[in-house]
Amino acid sequence: MTKKDSSIDPKSFLIVGAVITLLLVLVIIVGMFWTPYSPTAMKYGRFQSPSWNHIFGTDNFGRDIFSRIVKGAGNTLVIALSTVIIGAAGGILIGSLTGYFGGAVDVVLMRVNDALTAFPSFLLALLIVSLVGPGSKYSVVLALGLVFIPSFARVTRSEFASLRSRNFVTGARLTGAGHARIIFVYLLPNTGRVLLPALTIGFNNAVLAEASMSFLGIGVTPPDSSLGYMLSEAQSMVSIAPWYALSTGLSIVLLVFGVGLIGEGLQARAKEVD
Amino acid sequence: MNEVLLYVLKRLLILVLTMILVSFMTFGAFSLISGDPARTILGTEATEVQVRSLRHELGLDRPFMARYLSWLLGFFSGNLGVSFSYRQPVWELVGSKLMLSLSMSLLSFLMIILVAIPLGVFSYKATGKTMIWLRTIFNQLGMAIPPFFTGIVFSWIFGILFRLFTPGDFKGFSVSFWPSFMHLFFGAVCLSIPRIAMTIRMMRSTVISEMNKAYVRTAISRGNDRRSVLSRHVLKNSLVSVISFLGQTLAELVCAGIVVEQVLGIPGVGRFLVTSILHRDYPVVQTIVVILTFWVVFASFIADIINQVLDPRLRRGQT
Repeated sequence: MTKKDSSIDPKSFLIVGAVITLLLVLVIIVGMFWTPYSPTAMKYGRFQSPSWNHIFGTDNFGRDIFSRIVKGAGNTLVIALSTVIIGAAGGILIGSLTGYFGGAVDVVLMRVNDALTAFPSFLLALLIVSLVGPGSKYSVVLALGLVFIPSFARVTRSEFASLRSRNFVTGARLTGAGHARIIFVYLLPNTGRVLLPALTIGFNNAVLAEASMSFLGIGVTPPDSSLGYMLSEAQSMVSIAPWYALSTGLSIVLLVFGVGLIGEGLQARAKEVD
Repeated sequence: MNEVLLYVLKRLLILVLTMILVSFMTFGAFSLISGDPARTILGTEATEVQVRSLRHELGLDRPFMARYLSWLLGFFSGNLGVSFSYRQPVWELVGSKLMLSLSMSLLSFLMIILVAIPLGVFSYKATGKTMIWLRTIFNQLGMAIPPFFTGIVFSWIFGILFRLFTPGDFKGFSVSFWPSFMHLFFGAVCLSIPRIAMTIRMMRSTVISEMNKAYVRTAISRGNDRRSVLSRHVLKNSLVSVISFLGQTLAELVCAGIVVEQVLGIPGVGRFLVTSILHRDYPVVQTIVVILTFWVVFASFIADIINQVLDPRLRRGQT
């Protein structure tokens, strides 16, 4: 890349992002087993502003907001991860096969892919949720997972298409490696530099999309909870308890920001290798 | 200019074909999944005769292709069918809402262009450790702030504390102009923040990859300084990618607006889409989805045409 940019090591973005993300994930994992207060107990006094006892205050039912955020963020995390896993697995499978073998199947699938990406992904996800049945976290995961497949497929396909005629692949073929071995052992590990940043972007999109859907009331609904759902609750009491909306919203921002920095670092590193 | 005209015609044909494909897919998906709307409307206690007569009234007893064709023809003649839950023509329900949503998107689009393009150029020039960190944090934070969160914060600060408007109480422009305008204005600001960050980032990487090309090296080796090469050649050559990106942005703004409309209580088409999804009012959902997708396809059409006019390389089939 340009000389100007080399004054900053991409690793530093990676480290700062990873520290933020790991801290948050640690809090979330601990929160799955233990929270300072019960996230469902309604006995801590209504609308307490933030204090040392309740660092994010309490809500309209007198529940501890910090404990609720930790639990809700856990759900958000699980949904986002499952979504990315579905999208990436489907996309990598389709992309690697079409990119590696090429031919008519490749042409047809990529046309379909282009047509699908013409739909705005959020609208497509809304459409799928409305068809499958709104208001459950499984429909959200299914809808977002399916919607993410085309973008992963496209990235993987172009990497495979450009790598398949390289010498190391020909070498592998000459030593008698089969298609499956070439795809999974030789090619797939080499796509990491492009796929890893794509995974972080996918994760962030999943977090934001889940939050939007739950905010709209067609994603996660009670008794389940997620950061998006909590924000929609917080909105109705923003004039009495602004700390509820602020702490929930900033949690989303921090999570997406941390993972975004990781992605930025990975991308910068990938460019350096080029 | 003849080549451009030919291109526009070709592109127009693709536009129409895409729209037909999209409407067919949407219509097909909804007829597959919606089951029996007549049964849904009347509930489980209705008799078979009642259901059958309503089905006939709604035209659900005809074969699939006939229903699709009449729906498509109706769509272009302004007859979009009847809402299940309101029992009113869909167009009456959707028309004014659509205008509202499009105005908010266009307002936001204007903000993005006015803010992101100067900042994008500035961001390329910004060098040094502190500036790179500031730029990265600014961009990543901008992309991490969900519009519905800024929506809540704005409606709290400007709506409740400063009383510039009453969130959720949208009376329409003819009744009270300024509060209505404030709704759209703050909605547009919420929508533009992440998009501005994305646009800046995109512009920067386009300019950088353009600056690495051979003609720039040649120009500099012939004694031109970086700044004049940037403003005379590189920015113009980056324009094609920027315009395509902006076209995509314009398309996505309407969909991103769905959540913002919900937060600020703007009775736009997105908010209506969400209520209709929750009520399983399929004729409305289907119409809005098709309209929004048409908008998306149309925005990329416009971007392509502008690029075609601006860049002679595209006309000659080079890139």
